Amino acid sequence: MSLQPLNSNSFEKIIYDDGESCLVVFSRKDCHVCKEVVPILEELAPKYDGKFGFYYVDVEEQKPLFQRFSLKGVPQILFFKDGEYQGKLAGAVDDEKVSDKITEVLES
Amino acid sequence: MADIMNNYDLIIIGGGPAGLTAAIYGGRARLKTLVINKGTLGGQVNTTREIVNYPGFIQTGGSGLMKMFKTHAETFGVEFLKDEVNDVDFSQEEKMIRVKKGKEFSAKAVLIACGCEPRLLNIPGEKRLRGSGVAYCATCDAEFFEGEDVVVVGSGDQAIEEGMYITKFARKVTVIVLHDEGIMDCNKVSAEKAFQNDKMEFIWNSTIEEVLGKDNVEGVKIKNLKTGESSELICQGVFFFVGMVPSTHFLKESGVEMDQRGYIPVNDLMETNVEGVYAVGDNRIKYLRQVVSAAGDGATAAVAAERYIEELNSFNINVLECDKKVLLLFLDALNNKSLEFSTLLEEVNRELNERYKVVKVDMATKKNQAKKYWIENVPSVLVLDKGQEIKRLKCSLNRENLKSQLI
Repeated sequence: MSLQPLNSNSFEKIIYDDGESCLVVFSRKDCHVCKEVVPILEELAPKYDGKFGFYYVDVEEQKPLFQRFSLKGVPQILFFKDGEYQGKLAGAVDDEKVSDKITEVLES
Repeated sequence: MADIMNNYDLIIIGGGPAGLTAAIYGGRARLKTLVINKGTLGGQVNTTREIVNYPGFIQTGGSGLMKMFKTHAETFGVEFLKDEVNDVDFSQEEKMIRVKKGKEFSAKAVLIACGCEPRLLNIPGEKRLRGSGVAYCATCDAEFFEGEDVVVVGSGDQAIEEGMYITKFARKVTVIVLHDEGIMDCNKVSAEKAFQNDKMEFIWNSTIEEVLGKDNVEGVKIKNLKTGESSELICQGVFFFVGMVPSTHFLKESGVEMDQRGYIPVNDLMETNVEGVYAVGDNRIKYLRQVVSAAGDGATAAVAAERYIEELNSFNINVLECDKKVLLLFLDALNNKSLEFSTLLEEVNRELNERYKVVKVDMATKKNQAKKYWIENVPSVLVLDKGQEIKRLKCSLNRENLKSQLI
């Protein structure tokens, strides 16, 4: 399942207006670590269908978004709940790390 | 026990240039071949923007070249699985491999070709600030440092070439080099280009002790190795290129010999100390680590594995599944005495109405079988019943003596 891409407007709506519990991966096409992390998320997403959202931001197309979080690299997975930032995972991560963080966010 | 669908002739762990070349050779030799690869096929080569020394390609990109390797392997019917190997059991002739998603596979021969990963310095701040200024890939992250000051640690090909790429975005790139002034580990062409680059600066005889910063990188603590003095340098990014370590940790309990750093010693055939297990490319101890030499390793190992499997199969059919008792004769085609003995043994067996089946093993090409039965001299003869050793003959050229041992 491919992840739903976000732009500045949809980001605003989903994260802040709706306050959805979700993660957003910041990625770019020519980054080899991203190419490993994004498929892990795509595989994980169906398991959390309806409970936790999975979104995608292409940093080349959405510069204001990564500047806003002063990100210094990709891939980075940012976690949100009730419109609040809940932390991030940077670099090469595996499915266990992501699942653990999701559980932490959902239970907080 | 793995079900029959998961049984292979050859399993290759890792899909870089060594693994993919082995896959091409394995597939072409009609071995049932599986490549298990964790990330994107191509391995580290994917991160190389430009390759200018792979024969036949004056200039090509790493990931493009690896796609061609993969397509080539596919034309020979090789199967691919995207997963990570968690655990192996090499104690039996049939080698077992368990992957992270839980599946089990078995193979007659296994090739270890899983490459290397960036080495960590394990200094304070390195892990904590990863993604917040600490980076390992210029292609991925250089752009985030537009107009900022960046430190590059290391002076190998990757450090210097990536460092120059970062100057396209950063205001200044400071390279921290272990060696005396002017000495770098990279190739000469890159060193010259780097020295001419106005945005590149160098700090010699030094290393990094700590990455500083609360939420983002704010600087680094540099230690001069000659004077022992520490100093701080303000920067917004640190790129580490301090070499690689082999990704062979999953083999720790496997019985495969490794050196302290995790590299595997092999012989000319890429054989490890475990029969039927081969190590290639960046996983083995070697002099040159390039795409072309990795491909060479892969070809060698696949051919060695093919012969090993053939030997194994024919041995199983001729010896282990034979109804008669077997006279397993080890000989050397270049040794006259062993040839003479071979003729005599067959004659005697005929006189005994073919009571035995004679199976000849040429020591020159089938070393593995000789090793398995502790055979050192030719000629040697073992009497086997369903693969079990009953006795060893005294290899006399005296017909009566020989015959008496067989009655």
